[in-house]
Amino acid sequence: MNEHRRQILQMLSEGKISADEAERLISAMEAPPAFSTLSDGGSSGTGKPRPKYLRVLVDAEEGSNGAYDGPTKVNVRVPMQLLRAGVRLAGLIPAQALLRANSAMQEKGVPIDLTQIKPENLEDLVEQLNDLTVDVDQKEAGAKVKVRVFCE
Amino acid sequence: MIPFVAVVSLRNQESRTFRLWIPLFLIWMLLLPVAVLLSPLIFIACLFCRVNPFRGVAVMWQILNALADTDVEVEHRSAGMSFHIL
Repeated sequence: MNEHRRQILQMLSEGKISADEAERLISAMEAPPAFSTLSDGGSSGTGKPRPKYLRVLVDAEEGSNGAYDGPTKVNVRVPMQLLRAGVRLAGLIPAQALLRANSAMQEKGVPIDLTQIKPENLEDLVEQLNDLTVDVDQKEAGAKVKVRVFCE
Repeated sequence: MIPFVAVVSLRNQESRTFRLWIPLFLIWMLLLPVAVLLSPLIFIACLFCRVNPFRGVAVMWQILNALADTDVEVEHRSAGMSFHIL
C-alpha cells in the first residue's frame, strides 16, 4: 500500500471525506496519466495533445470592379487521418508519374520532390504539422486577405 | 467508420437556407456491387500500373474512413455554402 492510498484511507477513517470521495480519489490516483500514449487521440508525449484536424481559415475583404462587396470567409477543417491516407496514396503513385509531376511543379516554381514522400516519413511529416501555423496578411489597394493555417 | 451522411447547406441572397442531407450509405450500397463487378478490371489496371492492388484498395478504404468530420464552409454576404461529412 503506498503513501497516498494510506492517507486517503486515513482521511476516510477520520471522517474527513466520504466513502464516495475516497473511492474517486483512489481511482483518480490509479488512472494512467492523461498524456502517456502515442495512440491516436492521445498525445505526442510532450504534454500537448495530438491535433485531430488541419484548419484553413481565409478572411477576404475585396470588391468586384472596385466596389466593396462584403467579406468572404472560408473555413476548412480536414481530419489529420485524411492527410495520412493522402500521403499513403502518394506512395502508391508510380515513380514515372511522380517524376513527371515533379518536373511540372518545377516549371511552375514549386520545388517539391514528391519522390521523397514515402510511407516511412509519413509519421514524421504529420508530426511536424502539429506545430504548424501559417498566417498570411495581405493588404493591397481595395483588398485585405487574411489566411490562417493551423492544426487543432 | 466510413461516413454515412453528408450535409450540404446553401444560402442565397435573401438568407434562405436550403439544407440537403445526402445519404452516403445508400451510395455505398449502390457502389458496392459495381465495385465487386469491376474488381477484376481494377486488379488488372493496378498490375498494369505496377501498383499493389491490395495496398491500393487498403489506401482507398483509409481515405474513405478518414473523410468523416470533414467540413468546408464558404460565407459571403450574398451567398453561403457549407459541406459537412458526418
